[in-house]
Amino acid sequence: MQVPNSFKLALLKQMLLGFQLSAVSSNSMSFHERKNAIKLSADAAMVFARGSTRWTRGLVASLSKNRNNEDLLRGILGKKYERLSLPCCNSWKIPRSRKILKRCLGLCSRRKKATGTQHDVKSSSTLARRLVKKRIQVLKKLLPGGESMEGFSLLDQTLDYAVSLKAQVDVMRRLLKISKASNLNLHLKEEEEEEEEHAQRH
Amino acid sequence: MPVEMSSRRSSRITDEEISELISKLQSLLPESRRRSMSRASAAKLLKETCSYIKSLHREVGDLSDRLSDLMSTMDSGSPQAEIIRSILRS
Repeated sequence: MQVPNSFKLALLKQMLLGFQLSAVSSNSMSFHERKNAIKLSADAAMVFARGSTRWTRGLVASLSKNRNNEDLLRGILGKKYERLSLPCCNSWKIPRSRKILKRCLGLCSRRKKATGTQHDVKSSSTLARRLVKKRIQVLKKLLPGGESMEGFSLLDQTLDYAVSLKAQVDVMRRLLKISKASNLNLHLKEEEEEEEEHAQRH
Repeated sequence: MPVEMSSRRSSRITDEEISELISKLQSLLPESRRRSMSRASAAKLLKETCSYIKSLHREVGDLSDRLSDLMSTMDSGSPQAEIIRSILRS
């Protein structure tokens, strides 16, 4: 699954805007300040590119918790900031999505055949269910806004988020590559010019 | 099997939607091609999904580090600024 190019372009633009707004290329920032500004720009840009969905709202909510982030968030998101901060009604799919999803993931004990003793069958499916429950808890913490999601919505939003994250990584990688190349070109050019000057004098 | 009816709307999440979602998730994960799709257990799918997201988070952190290093060595009157300006203009 991939995002359209327009998504990546929007992400790149807003991220660069964020860099400008927080003046990342100035000398007055510490490494950590700069890194945080970069990361915040990247996340806000990803939210901008994706638009309104549960995980983007969750991400805006958690990024907004730090007061220092507000200016940059507003700068990158513009009008979207207010819209994404509004509370949103819960999906009607929630009440049944957990049950239906678990049914299809084969977790209902009814479906398991009694191949061994009653005791064996019961404990293996109980273990499976416990393990799944545990991992769902982990997933909920990884997904922005995940704590309030269940079943189908949780997985659906997870897919959406993972695809967007991958795009964010791709854009950052490409920017790093281009910036390095242009930086290198600049230095090579400077060296060439120095050599020429040197040659002219002699 | 008894199915609850939503009190507000009559649409449901179909089995098809669910298996499509699961197969999309599987195709995202790096190891999915080796394993046969139908064998994946829920526990394994969740574990690999969580690992995948964590690894993406780590990559973003690492790329932020590297971009931070790079930005500190560039001045704002450089080709980088020109690239930025040309992208923002489009």
